[in-house]
Amino acid sequence: MLSCADFLAEFGDYLENVANPDLRARLEEHLRECKTCRVIVDSTKKTIRIVTDSDSFTVPAENVESIVKDVMARIRKKKP
Amino acid sequence: MSESLAIRNEPFGQYPGLVAAHGLVPNLFRAQSELPRVIEAEERLIDAVVVRENVLSRPQKESLLCTVAGVWGNDYCQALYGRSLRAVSEKETALLKFAGKLARQAPWFSRKDVQVLRDTGFDDAAILESVITTALGRFLCTLAYALHPDLDPGLALPVSSEPLRFSESSDWVETPGPYLQQGPRPAEDFPPYASFREQYGFIPNLFRVQTLRPDVLEAEVQALEKILLPEDYLSRTQKESILLVTSAANLNTYWVSVQGQMLSVLGVPPEESDQLVEDHHRAAIKAADIALLDEVRKLAYPLAPPGSGFEWDTLRAYGFSAAQIVEAVAMSALANFLNTLQAGLGAVPDFPPRRVFGQKDLYRFPGQVRPTSDAAFPDDPDADVVARVQNGEVDAFEDLVRRHTRRVMATLAGIVGNMDDARDATQDVFLKAFEHIDRFQRRSKFSTWLISIAINTGTEFLRQCKPCDPLENFEDEQGFRPRQLQSWADNPEQQVAAAQRSSLVREAVLRLPEKYRVAVLLRDISQLSTEEAAAALGLKVPALKARVLRGRLMLRESLAPHFIRIENRSPDAQLR
Repeated sequence: MLSCADFLAEFGDYLENVANPDLRARLEEHLRECKTCRVIVDSTKKTIRIVTDSDSFTVPAENVESIVKDVMARIRKKKP
Repeated sequence: MSESLAIRNEPFGQYPGLVAAHGLVPNLFRAQSELPRVIEAEERLIDAVVVRENVLSRPQKESLLCTVAGVWGNDYCQALYGRSLRAVSEKETALLKFAGKLARQAPWFSRKDVQVLRDTGFDDAAILESVITTALGRFLCTLAYALHPDLDPGLALPVSSEPLRFSESSDWVETPGPYLQQGPRPAEDFPPYASFREQYGFIPNLFRVQTLRPDVLEAEVQALEKILLPEDYLSRTQKESILLVTSAANLNTYWVSVQGQMLSVLGVPPEESDQLVEDHHRAAIKAADIALLDEVRKLAYPLAPPGSGFEWDTLRAYGFSAAQIVEAVAMSALANFLNTLQAGLGAVPDFPPRRVFGQKDLYRFPGQVRPTSDAAFPDDPDADVVARVQNGEVDAFEDLVRRHTRRVMATLAGIVGNMDDARDATQDVFLKAFEHIDRFQRRSKFSTWLISIAINTGTEFLRQCKPCDPLENFEDEQGFRPRQLQSWADNPEQQVAAAQRSSLVREAVLRLPEKYRVAVLLRDISQLSTEEAAAALGLKVPALKARVLRGRLMLRESLAPHFIRIENRSPDAQLR
């Protein structure tokens, strides 16, 4: 059976549901026996969800238009 | 040095060979005015390779130079040699494809490509000239990429044309060389060979397989004597190291083998040379020399996105003089020339190589471009608008800015750490993209290309204000091991208000070491696919996946104290 270190090195594809069937079977075999790795998988999935859903780096709409305006003004100034 | 300055200040009319070849002394050579001996060597090579007609005609050779410039997107050299470009026959098209593949995809070049040209009706003398001309094309493109001279009077930028399509294979093919028949064996006192015996102690095989053109051999030896051997600016060890590192970047087993020997003669232990080949950052050399090798290695792939190309200012900051930088560029150009010659002629190593490059070494350096089909990327939603901009419709660029500002600025905010700097950097990204859009060859989505410019711009910003970079040592990368082992709440979002959550995530992302931070930003904030993120970072997919996973696990560590079950304050278990 995989060690926890092996599991942690390999479970990236499992998190994204793209692990091949053989790898998936080996990872799930480990998970059935290891509560710690179950905790890590669960909390990492939640981490991804929280990070993806957060608006930590969201750019306000008004900023977009002002950047478009500034960029195009600088380009047109260079290339009349 | 005073002699050089005196020569430098004289008019450029003293290079009749360059005038004969181009009608004037092009700015490409004027940009090297610090080093007249280097210009003389280049003049001699151009005269022997391009001006003297032997088997191939001069227009054919200029078409080859133009083709090499085309496959590397080098407008200057295309303009310089494009004047004679004309409609070519099927036979000549085969010649141009040969040159294009050798110039751009040398690791994939093999005896098979030589045979294709032979089958088209070219004899070995013509093929030798094609290889030498292609190698010279790489030399000139390297110079032009690093020195970016202004266009000369009377030259015009090339008009976009149908790209060459190679009969390419993505497989690494090893075929034994040499590929061509050899000419008569030169006399024992043939000057180039006498020079090799004196300088190297042996005659490298690469120069034994070009005996059909002794005049070119003489010009090549003079290039070595005038560029590599003098020690008035860079030291011989620095220059041999440039040749070694460039050859390693080009995956050229032959030249890495020769350079290991040369450095050994200069007192560099073999283990040190091996380290230069694998990763010069870990070699026991000065920081300035690491920077020098960083910059010249970029010249092995002169297609880097804007903002990540050869940086003259970086080398000046490390104390290199203008003459030293020009010499480093010329040395790198010479290395690309020699590497291309070897790849085209299949010269076998002179010694048992300590390092043999193979399939597994492909794409080993960040930014290295994987050769792909020349067809445009099929599913790019920006393709039409990009084409309009490339055709001169400036206003169409506004659509691209509007479409991509959010993603570019979010990526930059995650790299530089604050919205004000991200806003300025975002503008820079779009200006660079507009300036270089003619070089965008649709081998990726436009959005991927744009994000790669954003990453380079953001990381360059960080380099310039290094003290701001927060916590590079946040985790011991080698010893990373999850420590937060408590179960999280079923709905962790409910434990923390949205505004605070946003702030926690931002701080946690910004605490990540840069390489993990950028990977996570591209996948989880900017929502790029794994393949797009890997392409934007110039990484293989498995390397990108490893960085994303490590980054996510580090984020999990940072966020865990806020999202574990409130009643659960002790670890549930331990790693085994």
